[in-house]
Amino acid sequence: MGVPEVCLAGMMAVVAGLDRTAMLQVMVSRPLVVAPVAGLLLGCPEEGLQIGLMCELLWLGRLPIGAAIPPDDTQVAIGATTLVAMQGSADVGGLPLALLCLLVAIPLGKTGQIFDLKARQWNGRLQQRWDVCLDAGDLGSLEKIHLRGVLNFALASIGTFLVVVLVGSPLVEMVKGVLLPMLQPVAGWLRLSLVAIGVAGIVGSLNVGRTLTLFCASFLTGLMVLWLL
Amino acid sequence: MNIVLARVDNRLIHGQVLEAWVPHVHADCIMVANDRIAEVPLQKALMEAAVPSEIKVVIGSVEMIAGELSNPGWENSRILLLFETSYDALVGHRIGMQFAELNLGNMHAETGKVRFSCTIALGEEDIKNLASLESEEGVSIVCKCIPADRGRPWRKLLGKDDTVDGSS
Amino acid sequence: MADSTLTYGTLRRIMARTLLLQASWNFERLQNLGALFALAPGLRKIYRGEELKEAFHRYSSYFNTHPFLASPVIGMILALERERKEKKAIDVGGDELRKMVMAPYAAMGDALFWGGMRPLAAGAALLVAVKGSFWAPVVLLTIFNLPHVWFRWVGLRLGYRLGLGMLPRIQKWRIPDLAVRIKETTIVLLGGACAYLFAITARQDEVATGWGLLLLPVIVFMSYLTRKGFSILALVFCSAAFWVLAGVLMK
Repeated sequence: MGVPEVCLAGMMAVVAGLDRTAMLQVMVSRPLVVAPVAGLLLGCPEEGLQIGLMCELLWLGRLPIGAAIPPDDTQVAIGATTLVAMQGSADVGGLPLALLCLLVAIPLGKTGQIFDLKARQWNGRLQQRWDVCLDAGDLGSLEKIHLRGVLNFALASIGTFLVVVLVGSPLVEMVKGVLLPMLQPVAGWLRLSLVAIGVAGIVGSLNVGRTLTLFCASFLTGLMVLWLL
Repeated sequence: MNIVLARVDNRLIHGQVLEAWVPHVHADCIMVANDRIAEVPLQKALMEAAVPSEIKVVIGSVEMIAGELSNPGWENSRILLLFETSYDALVGHRIGMQFAELNLGNMHAETGKVRFSCTIALGEEDIKNLASLESEEGVSIVCKCIPADRGRPWRKLLGKDDTVDGSS
Repeated sequence: MADSTLTYGTLRRIMARTLLLQASWNFERLQNLGALFALAPGLRKIYRGEELKEAFHRYSSYFNTHPFLASPVIGMILALERERKEKKAIDVGGDELRKMVMAPYAAMGDALFWGGMRPLAAGAALLVAVKGSFWAPVVLLTIFNLPHVWFRWVGLRLGYRLGLGMLPRIQKWRIPDLAVRIKETTIVLLGGACAYLFAITARQDEVATGWGLLLLPVIVFMSYLTRKGFSILALVFCSAAFWVLAGVLMK
């Protein structure tokens, strides 16, 4: 992977990261959107799609409500896809590599919450600056002050992305010799487990009772139909 | 009365309560004890409209809610009780609301208050109220914004007054 | 002074600005700067000089609601400010209205969009992705954004046109109940997606589809664990360790 690709991935990390809170909220920040797209751009579309699929549901039940900051699944997804791309597609690839990179990226992505928190705290200073301007009657600086916040969130996104990629790539190098062959035969099952964990998280965060009944009914019906086919 | 969660939250009914706490504690009734809002019909209507129809909502003054709670009709309901301020919680407990634990959710920063975590700012009055709730009324007080957060006893917050709080 | 009614162009600029509502989100007053940022083109049309400064002061206090439902709120505020300027007698000031609606509307928006539409779009896209199709992102973005963009644009314009009349209008949409229905649909979809993914995985390893019955108690148990505060991260690594170990032992 060359310099242009790294820059491309970094740009995606910023755009998707801003979509989380600072602007738009059109959901380009969802792993299932951002990972396949990053995969297409970086030359590993299949792995990107798989990463998106496995990562999408994991923290979907954690809502960005009020002052609660959910884990940064966006940077985990882009970071993991970038890690796959850095391996080059020559020797290894496919689902086991996607899984390995995702497993490395997930704990590193925890830093995202710290960076996000810092961005929101820096934004507190913008608030103070606005109060000064308002008292001075300088109403024109509203736009400048408000938009400075975008920069803080962008820095937070790029920070998380860099942590995932820079710490993650030597880690992947280190463990891939041992872990890839181990993951190879069970990759499909582990993929299923990750999706199941995500689903369990969502089922758990909704009103259990009717939710559980509905889920079981739909799962069993689906399984039955597929069994008979 | 069956109070499954008593919470101080200056935003009262909002997303964290409805999307996170109600399913977590399986509440089927929300009671808002607030003297100010009980007087404003428009605000009351707006709040009631934010709640799905399968969950009952009762909004009234602290005194009225305390009376309502002693009504045996609520015996089988799982009640989520909301206060706007620590003062209301203290008064509520003194006049008969029975909750053993008080959850601190959002207590917004105002002038004269010190922020102890991202979402909790306490003034001197608040600290006094919470201290009497704890020592005189025997209520344990825990700061927890959403169920996924790690709950922390409020005394621990007082130890540090900066805002390094991982709402992980 | 000129007519203080806002033109279509101004409303469009305000709509564009609402996209940046949370750019300066902070723990002190949350979205207040963003809401003021969106209101500014309108307020500048309505007021001048000292009046404008007062208006900016009014809207510099704490504000937080759901980012999409902020649009109707901003529309309503501008309508009330216009009426105030035209010296009509109004029951509720824009500032008062803002304080009243922000929490209930945040609750509605969180339920409908974060709790409802987002998992629904993700669930539908997941089914597509399990098939291995690259249409998955398109499906997710379309399902989520059609109601989203509609809400932002129509919400703003209706809010501005109806003023306080917007409140009963939104009441009539029964958003909280709608959100419950959407969540139920999502759960059904996710159940189907799980069954489908299991069938595909089983077929590759030549395992009978019937073993999928075992997956159900596992998911129910894991959802119980997450409710009890067990972290997703821990579950991910436990299952990874389990499968790696199983793979080694089976060899």
